Amino acid sequence: MLFALRVAFRYLTANRVQSGLLIGGVALSVIVFVFMTALIRGLALFLTAQTTGQIAHVEMEPPRRIAQVMGTDGGFAAQPISTFQRRQIRNWQLIVDQAAQLDHVVAVVPEVTGNGFLVRGTAVAPIALQGIDPSQIDAIIPISQSIVDGSADLSTGGLLIGAELAEDLGLRAGIPVLLRSDRGIERLIPVTGIFRIGLSNVDRRVAYMSIAVARPLLALPNGVTSVSIKLDDPELAPSVAEQLKRQIPLKITAWQEKNRNLETALESQGRTGNFIQAFALIAIMISIASALLLTSVRRRGEIGIMRSFGISRGFIASVFVFQGVIIGLAGSLIGSALGYRLCLFLSEGVKGPGGGPLLPIAPAEGGYVLVIVLTVIGSALSAILPAQAAARLDPVEAIQQ
Amino acid sequence: MTLLKADGITKSFRTGDVDTLVLKGVNLVLEPGEMVALSGPSGSGKSTLLNILGLLMQPSGGELSFMDKSVSGLSDKQLSAIRNTHYGFVFQFHHLLPDFTAMENVAFPAAAPAGGISADIRDRARMLLGRVDLTDRMDFAAMRLSGGQKQRVAIARALMNKPELVLADEPTGSLDRENSARVMALLREINQADKTTFLISTHDPEIAKQCDRRIDVVDGQIA
Repeated sequence: MLFALRVAFRYLTANRVQSGLLIGGVALSVIVFVFMTALIRGLALFLTAQTTGQIAHVEMEPPRRIAQVMGTDGGFAAQPISTFQRRQIRNWQLIVDQAAQLDHVVAVVPEVTGNGFLVRGTAVAPIALQGIDPSQIDAIIPISQSIVDGSADLSTGGLLIGAELAEDLGLRAGIPVLLRSDRGIERLIPVTGIFRIGLSNVDRRVAYMSIAVARPLLALPNGVTSVSIKLDDPELAPSVAEQLKRQIPLKITAWQEKNRNLETALESQGRTGNFIQAFALIAIMISIASALLLTSVRRRGEIGIMRSFGISRGFIASVFVFQGVIIGLAGSLIGSALGYRLCLFLSEGVKGPGGGPLLPIAPAEGGYVLVIVLTVIGSALSAILPAQAAARLDPVEAIQQ
Repeated sequence: MTLLKADGITKSFRTGDVDTLVLKGVNLVLEPGEMVALSGPSGSGKSTLLNILGLLMQPSGGELSFMDKSVSGLSDKQLSAIRNTHYGFVFQFHHLLPDFTAMENVAFPAAAPAGGISADIRDRARMLLGRVDLTDRMDFAAMRLSGGQKQRVAIARALMNKPELVLADEPTGSLDRENSARVMALLREINQADKTTFLISTHDPEIAKQCDRRIDVVDGQIA
């Protein structure tokens, strides 16, 4: 076998232009593969980071109350559930301590949430009110970085509102506004800061305040309505949620469950990438098979003479398979290196209009080991047809030609 | 022991619906150490017979035995093994592997089954190249050698696995007079020194004269 490898190598080096073109063609397809893989993975990472950067990775809420069906004479009737009595987690301090001890948990934020209205003059705007500990203002969403007016300091008892809401009501930092909660409690609260995080439903609807100020407004003196958790790796959210479910009898949801559309979009994008990668591999296989078939025709005489002095069909076939493997290995190594350089250049060397990378490419996620393994296997497979053709040559016919 | 025995060998080729009988029951025997000329005009079936005797082509009928053992019905793998270990071939056109050196060409029949050019194989290839007076061309690429030198490398290659039988198809056909004489002298010297049997296919009566005996093929039969 080693001698067959030596013969294969000699055949390739004997015709350097053809071998160079062949390896170059394989390298080009590998570059396409690496680029597409790095782009699709980079895009997925970018979208995931954008999403997970502004939401809780795991959320704990009180169990949903289900209407109880009670028997009545001659039929059934559902017992109505009070919507006035807010669902709450009463022993939240214990739960926070328990969650904080888990691996990968970087922040555990108890929140009281409810609805309300901001009233300024004749203008009224609905809001989703979130009461949190002022020291944890950036734990789930990095609000401080998004402040466009005022500050993110909630310890003074003020309110943080989104820029779109502020525009609707004509508010600026320092201006007091009347807040009416869904419990009918009203309080005049100054706007401490205005943020713009870029999500319209947050910038127009959400208002943050200190949990201490929110409690009387939402009539929640002790409990909290939810506990949000941030992880160091968002991908681990389902496993952390499972761990918590085993310990805590609450409704516990990983962010992936609440963002099915994103997951579906990423999966579709991944499938598109798989098609492009498959076509790149098919192109590699066809180019190698056709080139080696030509080689087998060009070297008919030599193959015939080898067969005449008793060289086995297996040896002849292995010479061609080795040629395929060498081309595939060289092409995939060169293509991977060049593909990495290209991705690096596009992610770091070329800036987009906003000053960030032109494309959300992840150079480290180019699928290098995968493409090398697939290319070498594909090259070996594509060499089988020419190898069989060469091994089947009739030595008499081949020598006479 | 008889080296090679052909008994009633026939060969026909089919072209469309027509069968052409090229060999019509050939009987011949080669004894060890002989140097035999195989003569005959073009189209007489000489080359077909040589291919069948060289186990490169299956006969349509008859029986062929090598070293007193029938080779009929052997697989391609078994025939290849016999060719590799017991046969040597020299063709009119040297048919060297152009991308390999003279030494590698000579070593090839032994190196391929062995998986590489071992020290023993290298030593024997070197010795054979010395025997055909090409020691100084050992590392030359085959394509850089002259016609006579290429044919001598081909002879050395045929001897690599110490064959009992060398089949030579017009070995001097592409050479000038001087190189032709040199090649024939070399074949005779090897025949006498190693007791290697040679079956030399030739048109040239002068070449045939230099052999121990002559077999004439005429119209698909031994004359």
